Amino acid sequence: MDGILTYVVNVVSLGGTYALLALGLAVVFSVLRLINFAHGELMTLAGYALLAGILLGVPFWAAVLAAVLVGGIAAVIMETTAFRPVRNANAATLLMTSFAVAMLLQVVFQNFISARGQAVPVPSLFTGSIAIGNAQVSIIQAISIVVSLLSLIALKAFFDRSRSGWAIRAAADDFETVRLMGFKASRLIAIAFLISGLLAGIAGVLWVMQRGSVDPLMGLKPVLAAFVVVVIGGLGSLSGAVLGGYLLAAIEIALQTWLPEGLAPYRDALTFVLVIVVLSLFPNGLFGKRVAEKV
Amino acid sequence: MSTLLDVSDLSVSYGGVQAVRDSSIRVEEGEAVALLGPNGAGKSSTLRAIVGLIKSTGEVTFRGTSISGVACERIVSQGLTLVPEGRRLFPQLTIHENLMLAARHRKAAQSTYEALLERLPILAERRNQPAGTLSGGEQQQVAIARALMSQPDLLLIDEPSLGLAPTLVDRVYDLLTDLKADGLSMLIVEQEVIRVLNFADRAYAMANGTIVMSGSAAELRDSEDVKHFYLGAEE
Repeated sequence: MDGILTYVVNVVSLGGTYALLALGLAVVFSVLRLINFAHGELMTLAGYALLAGILLGVPFWAAVLAAVLVGGIAAVIMETTAFRPVRNANAATLLMTSFAVAMLLQVVFQNFISARGQAVPVPSLFTGSIAIGNAQVSIIQAISIVVSLLSLIALKAFFDRSRSGWAIRAAADDFETVRLMGFKASRLIAIAFLISGLLAGIAGVLWVMQRGSVDPLMGLKPVLAAFVVVVIGGLGSLSGAVLGGYLLAAIEIALQTWLPEGLAPYRDALTFVLVIVVLSLFPNGLFGKRVAEKV
Repeated sequence: MSTLLDVSDLSVSYGGVQAVRDSSIRVEEGEAVALLGPNGAGKSSTLRAIVGLIKSTGEVTFRGTSISGVACERIVSQGLTLVPEGRRLFPQLTIHENLMLAARHRKAAQSTYEALLERLPILAERRNQPAGTLSGGEQQQVAIARALMSQPDLLLIDEPSLGLAPTLVDRVYDLLTDLKADGLSMLIVEQEVIRVLNFADRAYAMANGTIVMSGSAAELRDSEDVKHFYLGAEE
């Protein structure tokens, strides 16, 4: 029973972070048909901003807030400087641009900060654990669960109640008709990047708090996982991104927890085998739909 | 009557292919104008160019102000909008969300919304239902209602009867007749030639990307060329 509880806590904690990252990718994909591989670097940037805030002696909560805002602002700057000039280019150009931005930022982090990981001193308040029955849940994990769930609830309210939220959901189906509704394309894309960056910022802070360090390549692994998540969930499906996040976490943690020791080196490979099985059964992802292009 | 829309020498090219060539169209205030033509004649491209969705050459003025080269969203804010071919509702959004998305100022649009709910009971009954679950005829009514949410002076409508059963086409044209009676100006692309010529005041006929005929709806209805090219093909 305690094993199950620990498993659920781990899945909800990791899945929440994956969901936030995948939603960030999915929101941008909705308006630009771009998988932004520089999304991981927004996470890293937020991690460095958190570190800078702590080193400067700013109160921890203010450093967290600043780190999340840095993620959002950096995403908007990324959109206006790197993606806007190639917005009408084909999908491959957009994708290559996102790789270039990711590489550029990694090199900047390596050369201007350090190639090695930097320890992030998290206040001792967050380092303990809470006992639930016989299971131990770390405070950071509990925070991660609460923050990711609250972020998802806030985001759902935004998508369900605001005109910009409707526009982003609608753009996933038909961007051109959203413009016919009087929505300025540039504004909508900037809003999507801002949301995406804020989500990367939140995920970055949670990730750094769990690891206790930040390094230039920190965003690489989680953004790859988030990419897998949006593909499983169905490209262009926002709810698919959230459910896909929890599903991938469930697969990863299950393999981590119950895979016999001898098979442990094959864990990542097995994860991807399961992903391939899901995609064989649902080629457009669990919640995606067939995309037909009108010529 | 004053001129609302004046299109002069409009041309549209896709790659090397010219879809519309030197076409000129005029819509006066309060007028319903039909744009006829077979598939591939350039009718939809003409509407999309007028509303700024695709690049074009030539001059387009709306209420005497040039809107050539102006972004689509700014043209819509000036009071000209398009009900696109195939309705293109947002299927995952509810009817309420589809309509309110088109309202630039939510509070100001509330009275338009209420009036539309009264005019089209389907909107009131199913406002919280995803638009993708409606039938084709219902979707067309919602698409027209959605365009009205931006409180346009001129409505461009692309193939309102496409894919609809005759009784549903009747319902769509009943709505358009009501809107015309309210003074709304319209430019309608339609392949149901008799239907639209019975509804419109004036009409243009297009073929191979250019305007080949224009006149009052009655003139075109009686024209031997129209009977030969369009009505003959329908029989």
